[in-house]
Amino acid sequence: MTQLPEHLRDLDRALGAVRFEPRASLGAELLGRFQRGDRADGSGRPGRSWLMGIAAGIALGLACLWLLAPRRGGTVTVDRCCQDLDGGGSDDDGLLVVTERGSRVRSLIVYEDRDGSRSFSPGDIIRFRREGKMVLAGPLEVGARTIELCCLDYDGGGSSDDALVIVGRPPDRISLAAIYERYAAPGEPVQLR
Amino acid sequence: MPDSQQQVAPGQGISSTAEARCQAWYEAYGRAVYSYVRFHLPSADMAEDVTADTFLKAFRAADRFDESRGHPRTWIFRIAQNTLRDHLRRSRLRRHLPIGSMRDLATDAPSPEERLLWEEQVARLLDGVAMLGPRDREVISLRYGSGLDTAEVAQVLGVREPAVRTRLWRALDRLRAILVEPEQ
Repeated sequence: MTQLPEHLRDLDRALGAVRFEPRASLGAELLGRFQRGDRADGSGRPGRSWLMGIAAGIALGLACLWLLAPRRGGTVTVDRCCQDLDGGGSDDDGLLVVTERGSRVRSLIVYEDRDGSRSFSPGDIIRFRREGKMVLAGPLEVGARTIELCCLDYDGGGSSDDALVIVGRPPDRISLAAIYERYAAPGEPVQLR
Repeated sequence: MPDSQQQVAPGQGISSTAEARCQAWYEAYGRAVYSYVRFHLPSADMAEDVTADTFLKAFRAADRFDESRGHPRTWIFRIAQNTLRDHLRRSRLRRHLPIGSMRDLATDAPSPEERLLWEEQVARLLDGVAMLGPRDREVISLRYGSGLDTAEVAQVLGVREPAVRTRLWRALDRLRAILVEPEQ
């Protein structure tokens, strides 16, 4: 009994025709990350609490050392493309965030991927740009609306727990863009970055 | 030390053999892993994250992989299964998220209209898959998402091939029932 039953053949054919293609540059990017010693985002696995405790202790110690150490760069750049971030109706916008890994945002750019490179490149149109602190790029316009996207690693912190909030008027005006930690403790105010 | 166990020391200079091996793994299984993951996740970005995590874990553990004990495809797909499970647990995704943009859907459709129709059909199929139980979803994603044949799926799941066929047919039956239901 190795033949697929007759009534399932159409479904088998339809599913068999579905193929998704990863971004063409993903392989080269992964090798580059591996060569730089980047870790996988979700390497932690629950269970074995004592091991987790030891690991957490070591991580805490390293974090303290890192906090006390003099700063030498330590920035990470995250480039996410492509989604509809400006409300224009096309998935052709990208977000470029430069952060001090997982914490302060140094620079945030929302761009339109004009050349189809699926990453920020010189030919792209910048829809919104800010350095450091939060800014409102001009007064909010009539018809402005808020777009919120969740959850990805927007700050390079290693977890897909960040949300992006954009306020603007479709199809291409953006007045404000910020990221924040999506899973803040209940009752705790959300810190926009 | 066999060739496959050459030093792979991330961040400390990686041997060209190890690099070539990692590259070969991605070229051989990257698309299949991505497509498998994408059957479970509603967006291309999420699928890319999980695929990236899968291969970074595989690259980092390459020195511990012993080819005499199993096929790299089986090993990489098991890493993908675990990575996906962790991702779903962390992100607390709702089951019936609408399938988002299909920008990563491969198609030979000759016109934009036909592409749109195909996207709608795929969205409907994957919405149906998302409504299945985890075992059904897993066997369908491995068989059709990754394009593995039933013998290869059996290796990944650690069961015999006839068991995979039975499981797959039952899953297809249930999916068919889900897809037909709204039309009745």
